Amino acid sequence: MSNDAQTIVHIDNMTKRFGNVAAVDHLDLKIRAGEFVTFLGPSGCGKTTTLRVLGGFEMPTEGRVILDGADVTRLPPNRRNVNMVFQDYALFPHMTVGQNIAFGLELKGKTKADIDDRTGELLDFLQLGGFRDRTPDQLSGGQRQRVALARALAPDPKLLLLDEPLGALDAKLRGQVQVELKDIQKRTGKTFVFVTHDQEEALTMSDRIIVMNRGKVEQDGTPEDLYFRPQSRFVAEFIGDTNLIGGTVRGMENGSVLIDWNGIDVRGAAHGHRPADGSEVTASLRLENVLCHPQKPSDKNAIEGRIVNRLFKGSRTSVDIRVGGEGALLKAYLDPEDAGRIQDDRLWVSWDALHLSVLQA
Amino acid sequence: MTRNTRILMSVIYWAFVVYLFVPLVLMVTMGFKDSKFIGFPIRGWTLDWYSEIFRSDEVLGAFGYTMAIALSTTLLSLVIGTWIAAFLGPHKFRGKLIVFALACMPAVIPGIISAISLRIYIQFLQLDTGMAAIILGHTIHNVPFVALVVMARLATLPQSHIEAARDLGADQFVAFSRVTLPYLKPALIGAGVFCMLLSFDDFVRSFFLGSYQPTLPVLIFAKLRSGMSPEINAISTVVLVITAILGIWAERSMRRMNKGTSV
Repeated sequence: MSNDAQTIVHIDNMTKRFGNVAAVDHLDLKIRAGEFVTFLGPSGCGKTTTLRVLGGFEMPTEGRVILDGADVTRLPPNRRNVNMVFQDYALFPHMTVGQNIAFGLELKGKTKADIDDRTGELLDFLQLGGFRDRTPDQLSGGQRQRVALARALAPDPKLLLLDEPLGALDAKLRGQVQVELKDIQKRTGKTFVFVTHDQEEALTMSDRIIVMNRGKVEQDGTPEDLYFRPQSRFVAEFIGDTNLIGGTVRGMENGSVLIDWNGIDVRGAAHGHRPADGSEVTASLRLENVLCHPQKPSDKNAIEGRIVNRLFKGSRTSVDIRVGGEGALLKAYLDPEDAGRIQDDRLWVSWDALHLSVLQA
Repeated sequence: MTRNTRILMSVIYWAFVVYLFVPLVLMVTMGFKDSKFIGFPIRGWTLDWYSEIFRSDEVLGAFGYTMAIALSTTLLSLVIGTWIAAFLGPHKFRGKLIVFALACMPAVIPGIISAISLRIYIQFLQLDTGMAAIILGHTIHNVPFVALVVMARLATLPQSHIEAARDLGADQFVAFSRVTLPYLKPALIGAGVFCMLLSFDDFVRSFFLGSYQPTLPVLIFAKLRSGMSPEINAISTVVLVITAILGIWAERSMRRMNKGTSV
């Protein structure tokens, strides 16, 4: 982000209020050209409002939007080179697939030959070859979604905005479309700004995820960052399943943070910050990062525990493990072969200190 | 439902159908009677009444005049009604309900009251009785129907369609003409046909606001005063056929288009 030449959009300290409520509160971020950026958060977090501000459908109360070096804050949607794929696709029902795709090209004043070429190219690109003369009501959900994508890509926008475009598809199709969408983004090299409340979708497709909550950015990073190194309790809980461990900081040891968790010493990592000794902190430990050992391992930091609850989930078993005294409960996954070797529900757990993230808030 | 109630229901239904159609059948039949007097017995059949009305300058003139009024009224009503619907539909403002009620009032005012008030009003406007006055009167009466039908359709247009058009480079006018108007098409056809029929059928306003040239209903009324004759039946039958065809066509094309746009 340090290189400004690569920045395609700069949202400059933008606030959008509806009445007294700030839907987006002093948002400041830059999006690089060619990035697949996802705004992720629960409903009402301000992600859709941000997208609509980028598209020109909402005027920010404060701040600016700089698109490719030009201030577009006050420009209406038809005068900015940005296109959107709508949640309900918003295909024009009285036009054929071809006419829908050509709509934006016609308004750009392209010649008939150019429009035909570009439409044909997009139809091939999105495997819609035989559908040019169909109307939207003759298409399946997945096909409509592709037509909406083709229509938005047709005018060659600097930014493609996608407002939960997979929400209307069934679960099976959604997984397939996620892969397709990511592939299309790579092949076109376009900057995609995607909005979703589905964390799995965000993790699968994005180069970068911006987690929003109550109009503010909770965390901005790669999917791996967010998943393995969450900075806040909100992010840790919103994305995936995790163990939240509350304790007192006892100090540093070999670069790890030593935490007293209900009388047990545990080691973790603080990413980008240093919690004060004696302070109360919360740390996040992903279920799959908890290693379970049927026998006492050589790792001297391993903790003995007892399984108090098992849930068979096919490829693995989800277990609740009590370590030490009251309240010190860990959730973990057990491999099938380990599950068979554990006797009397006794086992040892350990983890890489890097995987226990001490949260900032 | 038991067998008996089912039979009873169908008997009542068919009785109603008979009640509805007997007068029409009688009217049509009498138009083919070879006699000057309406009534039974019928001794001979003829098409003379029809050839007479199609050769009569008076009838053809009145028909053309009525059609011209109906078409102008329809066009005007569609433009004004759509404008009101587009204005009242999406915007929320103080007193919207009052504005809406005022716009709808001409539809519920009794025809005779509306006709008399319009007759006085055109004097104020220094407008002579005749075609322009009739068109004015019919338009005021028809606009609320257009506005209501168009508003109902407009309420189902997803906001995202307009936004998508804007997003792809359309200004407000282009978005309206290329996305909103085509979406309204079934409503416009339905409302348009309804306007045609209302105007074509109107007697009271045309009578009060007309001058020497009568519209078709006014002509029929004038002819009635000089006695019933099968000629009137023939004229009425022609009108019946035309309006029925128009109504069925409108219903079918609206249904077909609604099906196509329910995405």
